[in-house]
Amino acid sequence: MLELKDIYGGYDKITILNGTSFKVPRASITTMIGPNGAGKSTVFRAIFGLLNIRSGQILFDGQDVTRHTPKQMINHGVTYVPQGRNVIPQLSVWHNLEMGGVTARDQSKVRARMETVMDQFPMLREYKNRKAIELSGGQQQQLEIARSLLLDPKLILIDEPSIGLSPNLVQDVFVTLQRLRDQGVTILMVEQNAKAALAISDYGLVLELGQTQMHDDASKLLNDPKVGQLFLGGHFHEEEGAA
Amino acid sequence: MSEFIQIIVSGLSAGSIYALAAVGFTLLWQASQTINFAQGEFVMLPAFFVLGAMGLGAPMWLAIAVALGLSVLLLGAAFKKLIVEPMLPHGTLPLIIATIALGLLMKESVKEFYSAQGQPFPPIFPTEVVRVFGAAISVADIMNLAVSFAAILTLQLFLQRTRTGRCMQATAQNRGVAEILGVNVKRMVMYTFLINAALAAIASILITPIYLAKFSNGETLGLVAFIAAIVGGFNQIRGALVGGLLIGVIDNLSAFYVSSEYRAAAPLILLIVIIMVRPQGIMGTSEGRTV
Repeated sequence: MLELKDIYGGYDKITILNGTSFKVPRASITTMIGPNGAGKSTVFRAIFGLLNIRSGQILFDGQDVTRHTPKQMINHGVTYVPQGRNVIPQLSVWHNLEMGGVTARDQSKVRARMETVMDQFPMLREYKNRKAIELSGGQQQQLEIARSLLLDPKLILIDEPSIGLSPNLVQDVFVTLQRLRDQGVTILMVEQNAKAALAISDYGLVLELGQTQMHDDASKLLNDPKVGQLFLGGHFHEEEGAA
Repeated sequence: MSEFIQIIVSGLSAGSIYALAAVGFTLLWQASQTINFAQGEFVMLPAFFVLGAMGLGAPMWLAIAVALGLSVLLLGAAFKKLIVEPMLPHGTLPLIIATIALGLLMKESVKEFYSAQGQPFPPIFPTEVVRVFGAAISVADIMNLAVSFAAILTLQLFLQRTRTGRCMQATAQNRGVAEILGVNVKRMVMYTFLINAALAAIASILITPIYLAKFSNGETLGLVAFIAAIVGGFNQIRGALVGGLLIGVIDNLSAFYVSSEYRAAAPLILLIVIIMVRPQGIMGTSEGRTV
């Protein structure tokens, strides 16, 4: 459903993506792992029209979407949940959720959809009049995921959903992602907690220096001794840098 | 006592006009990291649009409408397109310097092409005085207060109750996320500039009858608006409102009870005290903006 073909791109004169290529099949979870600065977040920015792509092609549902703007990508059915806390701090939970549907032409449908999404995340209904900044980190993460579901996306790009969350909250987020996958949503995820992420994923891919080094079933990557040594080791602590 | 009431009311009246300029100041800062040092001149100029239109024979109401329109066009759209957009990529400091230059240009142009003398400006409200608890309260003061509050209240309602307003808030509070959600960030920033210009024009039309229309009016107004914004917290409309009112009242009190010679010092003393005691401003949060 999503295909990157030989993408080159970066910021100013720095090249981050050096011919990145991979495919993501429909209704699956794919986890991207790799060392610091491998370009994982940059891949998301490239797909979502936030990066200067020098060459290569991005296909979504067979359509060329290379260099499409974020708004166009949203209209294609793609949403992006970036790393870190990304709520609008002073707006209420309700209005944050509403922002997820800001591009929709028919706002009455957005209302109905907000109710559906809140059914999936009952916490949001309880706190709907609170300012988003007053939510805990885990609640904010849920709000972000809920917001990304507002337009019923086909593909969700989600960057480090577990950052700053306690282990049981991480599990909650992963369960949510699996549930979405079972409903037919495609998920491409970057996750520092690689072992746990691969365990719930269908596919895994290893990105190094902006190139796809390995791409296989998640279970095979989990059992691959080389991957294990590099990325899944107990003491290995990996985070994406400023990129 | 009656004297005191008079001083407070006229202080609040002037303060509410300062608040209009200060609110614009904070809006521009939030939406696009623009610290507009020409803000005083933005308040000085629209009065001359009114005078110019009246000079061509337009009645007062039409002249005010023309001034509002011209302000929004020139001080809003053209300011953003021709100065802010080209300068912002170079950083906040070059942009600040550009706005200082713009202020000088506006001031000197009015002096050169209109007049160096203060021009009488027709009062827009009746010049009557009403007696309240023995105090002589001018109707114009009450009307200034009412118009300024109505403008700020309308703005608040627009920002909170409409989807466009919330998109503007999202753009100011987290631009990256607003973009990712598909908000038309550029358009929202443009709206902010248009609103700032409209607020400046309203302030201009309200405050100029108190003084005269003069090219140098912006010097004090700009400073006062800047101080009001900082005192209030710089990132809050409510703060700018409180800051403006406070400065108006303190200014009047010190002119009457201390000495009118030192009245210009009062806002500066307030600024120093606030920065020492509560650097985030009266209503501000210390978080403000993350880079």
